[in-house]
Amino acid sequence: MAPASQPERAVAAPKSNTDVVLLDLVEFVAEQDKPSAREGLVEIVRQVRESGTDVFALVDSELLYADLHACICPELTGVVVSHLESVAQVEEADSLISKLEDERGIPPGTLEMVLSLDTAQAAQDAFEIASASRRITGLTLGRAELVMDLRPEPSGEIHLMQYLMQKLITVAGAIGVPAYGAWWRTPDRGLLATPENTGEAALRGRAIGFKGSFCVLENQVAPMNQGFTPGAQEATEAGKSLESYRAAVSEGTASIRQGDRIIDSGTALQARLLIDRAAACEAHDKAKVDALAGRPVPAP
Amino acid sequence: MADHIAVHRSGLTMPVVTPRFIDNAWRRGCDFINMDLEDSVPEHMKGYARTLIKDAITNVTKGGAEAFTRINHDLVLADLEGIIWPGLTKVNYPKAEYGEEIQLLDRIISRLEQERGIRPGTVEIGADIETSVGVANAYDIAAASPRVREFGGASGYDMSRDLGVEMFVGFDQFVYGKGEVELAARALGLEPHTAPFTANTTGSVGDPDRAFREAEAARKCGFRVGGGLHPNVVEPQTRGFTPTQEEVDEAHQILEQYRQLEVSGETWAETDGNIIDRYEAARARKLLDWSELCAARDQEKAEAFARVEAAAA
Repeated sequence: MAPASQPERAVAAPKSNTDVVLLDLVEFVAEQDKPSAREGLVEIVRQVRESGTDVFALVDSELLYADLHACICPELTGVVVSHLESVAQVEEADSLISKLEDERGIPPGTLEMVLSLDTAQAAQDAFEIASASRRITGLTLGRAELVMDLRPEPSGEIHLMQYLMQKLITVAGAIGVPAYGAWWRTPDRGLLATPENTGEAALRGRAIGFKGSFCVLENQVAPMNQGFTPGAQEATEAGKSLESYRAAVSEGTASIRQGDRIIDSGTALQARLLIDRAAACEAHDKAKVDALAGRPVPAP
Repeated sequence: MADHIAVHRSGLTMPVVTPRFIDNAWRRGCDFINMDLEDSVPEHMKGYARTLIKDAITNVTKGGAEAFTRINHDLVLADLEGIIWPGLTKVNYPKAEYGEEIQLLDRIISRLEQERGIRPGTVEIGADIETSVGVANAYDIAAASPRVREFGGASGYDMSRDLGVEMFVGFDQFVYGKGEVELAARALGLEPHTAPFTANTTGSVGDPDRAFREAEAARKCGFRVGGGLHPNVVEPQTRGFTPTQEEVDEAHQILEQYRQLEVSGETWAETDGNIIDRYEAARARKLLDWSELCAARDQEKAEAFARVEAAAA
């Protein structure tokens, strides 16, 4: 996540090895700087995209017209819409994006929309809001703990977040898109945390069902990537599980014991998905290296 | 959205049929007294209990506390007819399950307010969520009347019984229900009446240290509503829900740092390991507002208490 008001930082962001650069028009741009940040945004999008990194813009649902006009161009991957309150706002964003796609020579339906359900009303109506557009490719709680003023409990958990995270992940699963976020704990705050705590938040986040997370500081990118990438040991174990399951099937049984675990079709499928995920992460990491080195990157 | 923020840090629920509780209630220093017609009143005394409320309102409020009454889920009309009198500020409705129930209460209360010379909209409704059906309909219940200003529940004895789970365990068995209810309250701009989980495996209701710890933890999570069953918990709850002078000073400091930040054009800064930004500034303003409300409420109670003592002298 890089403030759109700081072009140098935004353009340099791909060097951090991030999968996505999120150009922020909402959280870390002062009100008085927003007009000038919008003016230069398309140029920043183009420069970031040259490095091969996907580029999203974080826009404010209350300032949709200005924010979307400022960022939409063929090089943009999509937008993250924050501070949502209603289905109508999503429909309005979808409609405006369609109009701008048409006006700016972008094939219809190209631009993705990730919804930040960071308000209480958005979290309350999560399923209806998340079902309001076919562009929606992901859900996140964004900075919900700050927008909703949720604070640490004595246990160190941030109040209400476990419930909100599970609700978001369940709704994302129901509409078939990934949920983005990490399981932050005190003293982490608003996507600002030490690299070590970021890694732990990412590991917990992956364990609960998130697929990746935004972060603010460059030194958080590596631990975030590591936390959300299946480890070599996990992939090896998954490979063994698959082999055991195949052996079981060839012997005419539906399950087999592996150590203390039972491997059946469900656990075999989970192992398959983990292996695929690990391979996808590896391929994506290689593509990022090639892109940064200026080598041609194969289409995904 | 509530018109004003009520100060309900501490309160005692007591059977209205027990004179020694009611007669001493004004001395307890509570922000409210909740006179019970429900679980603590035997079936054969329900009718009699209703007749006591009108006089008891005057009695329990003379030390500055507000007067609430908890009615019976299945005796709504008779109970409301018996209790809606000038001075009563809240009706607690147990085991709320449907928005229509709250709408019915609202209509009856509106009529009684009009008939009995009470300013329209004075009497608040406490819609207590204590069953699974109530959790499933939490948003509809909370949205059913503007008289619902504080909203919470989905834990406690009745919820435990409804779910068939133990009440006093070392983990939070009500995560889902409490989440649903709190989210509904927040989405509607109501005051959430809830608290972070703290393990209570003994079932103690009169431990002052525990009451303080719970109230303080709840306030630090942004909650402001208390209440209990034992006089020992009143003072610790009032104290635990009131910002300390140190916190007030810190809030002023945060606002000053934020003003400087705004001048600089930055959106956030780190000072002594703490982040300063618009979210922290908003929280600091909220804390200062709450602190002022608490001080005003304490002053009101002190003055009321002094009037009673002067009259008795």
